[in-house]
Amino acid sequence: MAANIGILRRPVSTAGVWGWITTVDHKRIGILYGVTAFVFFLIGGIEALLMRVQLAQPDSEFVDAGTFNALFTMHGTTMVFMVVMPAGAAFFNFLVPLMIGARDVAFPRLNALSYWLFLFGAILMNFSFFKAAFPDVGWFGYAPLTTTPYTLSSSTDYWVLGLQVMGIGTTAAGFNFVITILNLRAPGMTLMRMPLFTWMTLIVSFLIIFAFPPLTIALTLLLFDRFFGTNFFDTVGAGADPLLWQHLFWIFGHPEVYILILPAMGIVSDILPTFSRKPLFGYTTVVFAGAVIAFLGFGVWAHHMFTTGLGAWATAAFAGATMAIGVPTGVKIFNWLATLWGGSLQFKTPLLFALGFISMFMLGGLSGVMHAAVPVDTQQQDTYFIVAHFHYVLFGGSIFGLTAGIYYWFPKMTGRMLSERLGKVHFWVMLIGFNMAFMPMHVLGVLGMPRRIYTYSADQNWAGLNLFVSVGAFVIAVSILLLIINVLRSVRKGEKAGMNPWAASTLEWAIPSPPPHYNFAVIPTVRSLHPLWDEEANAVEPPPLPAHGEPHMPSPSYWPIVVAFGVTMVCGGLLIWQASTWLGLAVIAVSGFIGMRGVYGWVFEPVAAEEHAEHAEHPERAPAHHA
Amino acid sequence: MTINIRTDSAAPRTGRAPTSLRFAAAALAAVALAALLAACDTPQTTFEPRSDAAQRVHTIYIFVIVAASIVGFLVLAAMAYILVKYRERPGRVPQQIHGNNTLEITWTVVPILILVAIAVPTIIWIAGTTQPADDDALHVTAVGHQWWFEFRYPGLGPDGGDLVTANELRIPVGRQVAITLEAKDVIHSFWVPRLVGKTDMVPNRVNQLEKFKATEIGEFYGQCAEFCGSAHALMRFRVHVDSHADFDRWVASMNAPPEAPAVGSAEEGGLRVFRAQCATCHTIQGVSEGADGPNLTLFGDRATVGAGILPSTTANVKEWVSDVRALKPIPDPREVPIEGVSRVMPTFYVEDPDKDLLTEAQVDQVTAYLQSLRLR
Repeated sequence: MAANIGILRRPVSTAGVWGWITTVDHKRIGILYGVTAFVFFLIGGIEALLMRVQLAQPDSEFVDAGTFNALFTMHGTTMVFMVVMPAGAAFFNFLVPLMIGARDVAFPRLNALSYWLFLFGAILMNFSFFKAAFPDVGWFGYAPLTTTPYTLSSSTDYWVLGLQVMGIGTTAAGFNFVITILNLRAPGMTLMRMPLFTWMTLIVSFLIIFAFPPLTIALTLLLFDRFFGTNFFDTVGAGADPLLWQHLFWIFGHPEVYILILPAMGIVSDILPTFSRKPLFGYTTVVFAGAVIAFLGFGVWAHHMFTTGLGAWATAAFAGATMAIGVPTGVKIFNWLATLWGGSLQFKTPLLFALGFISMFMLGGLSGVMHAAVPVDTQQQDTYFIVAHFHYVLFGGSIFGLTAGIYYWFPKMTGRMLSERLGKVHFWVMLIGFNMAFMPMHVLGVLGMPRRIYTYSADQNWAGLNLFVSVGAFVIAVSILLLIINVLRSVRKGEKAGMNPWAASTLEWAIPSPPPHYNFAVIPTVRSLHPLWDEEANAVEPPPLPAHGEPHMPSPSYWPIVVAFGVTMVCGGLLIWQASTWLGLAVIAVSGFIGMRGVYGWVFEPVAAEEHAEHAEHPERAPAHHA
Repeated sequence: MTINIRTDSAAPRTGRAPTSLRFAAAALAAVALAALLAACDTPQTTFEPRSDAAQRVHTIYIFVIVAASIVGFLVLAAMAYILVKYRERPGRVPQQIHGNNTLEITWTVVPILILVAIAVPTIIWIAGTTQPADDDALHVTAVGHQWWFEFRYPGLGPDGGDLVTANELRIPVGRQVAITLEAKDVIHSFWVPRLVGKTDMVPNRVNQLEKFKATEIGEFYGQCAEFCGSAHALMRFRVHVDSHADFDRWVASMNAPPEAPAVGSAEEGGLRVFRAQCATCHTIQGVSEGADGPNLTLFGDRATVGAGILPSTTANVKEWVSDVRALKPIPDPREVPIEGVSRVMPTFYVEDPDKDLLTEAQVDQVTAYLQSLRLR
């Protein structure tokens, strides 16, 4: 037990800041993910607004080319990796154990490690701002622009290392949730009785496990090129084929699109039945449609590369696969509409956002089918039509879906309701602002405006639409302000929620709001897809605590943040190494030691603090170590 | 043309809840505004095809827009109907339906049929791109550089070699053009919306642009469509579609050395400056053989300077020669020496004697000389 003595003893207190830093409680980790994602959402949003100011008029000199290129690179990277993914993770964390009737995820400390790696990776990448080396190669970082001859500054190094650190955390979380969902379900919670959101979490977790390795490999090759002079992407001296990067990136990148959208689909699939007062239409179909989308999602990556000269056969095959993926997506939309059909629709804010999701996401899907038609794509690729398309999918889809989830589960998370009145205003302002900002972008694309240009000349006659788009962007900003006001007011003064304010049907509504740290006093037994509708008795009172008192939960731990710090600073050391070899090596050595020490402490940490003493007396009774 | 866009953009705004009327009105106004703006003259539009290839793409484009708009409109209309009809009313208890196989099979099969209808012209089009070039096709090799375009016409140059020009491609009307795409440094993309869709220019690869036959004489806008570094937004070019006679005259003139400037003229001084300062990088047929920068033969006939970004006026050419970095964000070779990457143009004159490589008078002379290089 020498690994965890003195100040390294396992902490007990869950109070204060240290309580949050050492927490292994899935609900607290979920809230950490959510709050962090929201902060980055504001940062990414400000980056977007700065770009929109620049583009509001032709030949603008509001920002220079380098700044603009950094803004769109970091806007994309931030929104994908630091906003939508962790916002999904926030819901996975908070809800999945509650939905399946578990007390926590399978590996609570690993879960905390995932969060800290995400946070530190994101900070590492954004730290480049203070070193005047904001990444500026686009969020998909096409080689050879990212190789040393074309990016001399360390900006691309920050980008590579930040993504690597975040990727480790994400991959660990993928395994954690697969194992949690497959192993920790309450008695009677069969796979086909799981809420749709849990199903989508399971599918997304598998996507993460299979999609992140290609990204990790691509980033590692690039990292070796940049730091150690290898030649994977060196076109000048070594004759590399730059399309290697594109294949590796998009084999990750397209499944990533589904990693971003499936959680929102899950959220919407759970919200619609609640506010229609009837079950999801074709539960099995919607589950399988999700699985088919995920599966096909690995076979469509080259539609990002139709204009790279793949050859006729590959282009035709990927066009076909891309069109095929529209089918399960369409099926989902029809099933959602059929769920509404014949219902008794209560137009509460979560339902409004869910409807916003369905309609806006569908438009994004339709424009997606358009560029699956390769000839059309030769005119649309890399124009504002594409920018419009993926914002309809990622904002109209993911962000509307996630916002629906915020309004729906805020009462469960905080015990208080968000204001319905303000919520509805938020919805309409956001829907209008969203369409003002992104609908005209389709037209700009048709009129030949390429994406990623920091300026355009007046003779192109794109100015009027661009100004309109910029106004729309600020309308969206106002709607986000309304959300912030709503959350800040409701956290303190909102109406008390009670256990099940929406009269919903799934397990998370069978326990108090906010849930106690052990979630379920008694692990429930599940008998149907809608336990709280089919067994009204369950919905009234949570069962009392059993005679032996509160269930035993794992104690907090320092080690996740220590390990995450060590890993991140090894990468930080690499960056320092470029400027100063010995200082960099020293930082790498010290951080490597901290990380290894963290893993050692982690492995030998007792399950709970009070067991230190017990082990000393009865070493033969040492419990199995939890991860 | 914009009618189709309007159908498309009107779709999402069709209302849903009873409160949606005001919203729909606002949306209509927005769309009307968008359509009005779109009616302006936009030289880089994808919707006014002026070649056989662009026309083929355009036909499919309109077809998928119409198909997508119809689907989008029907689904949104169905949604609006459901939302109004099934809104909460006192006493309504929804029937607990779990699914319906017939319906679900229907709405799986119908989208498949629609997608097949889109896939068929797509596949036919892809097959068409593999056709060999016509026997009389004009072959051109286009090379992307950070941040300009080089155009080489094999066999049309002096002694059967390449005829080389930059940033303004000249092609004859009605004759097929087969363009081979290459890149010198990073990935670029060749795109002339009204003539042909884009294909990327990838280093160490040779790509073929879709072959096309221009159907109208005129000047067309092109632009690099793949992010290629700091000045990506300013990597543009023009395509001049000429009559056959004009094209032949241009080819002949490109191959003839320029007349020597009159003794004592500004142009003569400019030629001296050019030989001393510019000739290592820039070629003028019969004068110099630099390979790193754009070929400047017949520069005086170009419509633009700086890779399609500015009209080729005396003031603009002068500013370009003096201080290229005031017009385009390109790295300074004195600050960023890069091994293996093409050299970039120095800053010649910023009224700082310590830095200036030329005097203002010399800049004027070289400007006059470049502008004198005209078609005869």
